Amino acid sequence: MTQSASETWSVRIVVPETSSLDAAGETFDLEVREDETILAAARSAGVWLPADCQQGWCTTCAARLVDGDVAHPNARRYYDEDREAGFVLPCTAKPRADTTLIVGQYDDFLEFRADHGRPPGSSKLDT
Amino acid sequence: MSDEKAHGSGAVEPGDTSKRVGAEVIRERGVDPEELREKLIDAIGAEFTTYYYYTNLRMHLAGEEDYKEITEDARLEDRAHFELVVPRVYELEGSLPNDIRDFADRASCPDAEVPTPMDDGGNFDTSDLEVEDILEVLLEAERCAIRTWSEICDMTRGADPRTYDMAQRILNEEIDHEAWFIELLSKERDDEINPAGHFARGEPGDAPYSTNNRFNDSA
Repeated sequence: MTQSASETWSVRIVVPETSSLDAAGETFDLEVREDETILAAARSAGVWLPADCQQGWCTTCAARLVDGDVAHPNARRYYDEDREAGFVLPCTAKPRADTTLIVGQYDDFLEFRADHGRPPGSSKLDT
Repeated sequence: MSDEKAHGSGAVEPGDTSKRVGAEVIRERGVDPEELREKLIDAIGAEFTTYYYYTNLRMHLAGEEDYKEITEDARLEDRAHFELVVPRVYELEGSLPNDIRDFADRASCPDAEVPTPMDDGGNFDTSDLEVEDILEVLLEAERCAIRTWSEICDMTRGADPRTYDMAQRILNEEIDHEAWFIELLSKERDDEINPAGHFARGEPGDAPYSTNNRFNDSA
């Protein structure tokens, strides 16, 4: 099925006060098309979110899904248990509903992955 | 050293070998050297896995000698990037993982595998493998590397000139590589002329930016 490129969803990005990001404590509301990633939309709007590979692999961008729904059609390393635990990767996540994310969750996500024997947490936190 | 005129060492006591001023000066400038070091390990993990995977990708560009040579250039330069930064990891009091599986798992970029399934005999099923598919894997691997080293440039700019110098040298070459593969993929897949703007290296793996001062002869 071909998605309409013009369909957009409202995405709220919450940056925790405890975050080391410059935008700590701020909240941003964006309109994000179904065919663009949340990271790309945020950066286009001047909201600098952390990211590295931008291929859904390194997990630098990890966030928590508070509300809504996203799809990760192109993520290279995203597991069912990530989804079940509410972790998302904004670098490859595309909205499928109005959505709220808490960003800056890399450290928690590494621990989560390590607890589940999944990389990169399993290889980084044991060293 | 004269007792009357001890060397000034800031937070590191004279003669203390448990700390490194080379790391503490980075911390004083607002960058966590341990966080940086771990990011460097991830980044060179990607250079190392890319070196491995490009070996396979290059071999499967059967009959495309010009593509093979350009891929070989990128392959050897990625190895040079690994070699260039390994000493920096140790300077920052880190080390490479003892288990190569850990090193690959924590690499900051995806595995650049040959884009074809394996057949029943455990060999590459090349029946539907196209040159353009391999070029696309190469291109996306380079793009990941550009993002990674840009991030490290951002982390170190104005705080750690030694790591910044390495990262910007590597970034220069990764941007070259992206341009090469855009040119090749454009021609192969789309029959479009999309020049890289470069001519060939002198020899494969020259790494003109990351080894041009030869300050690390193992690279």
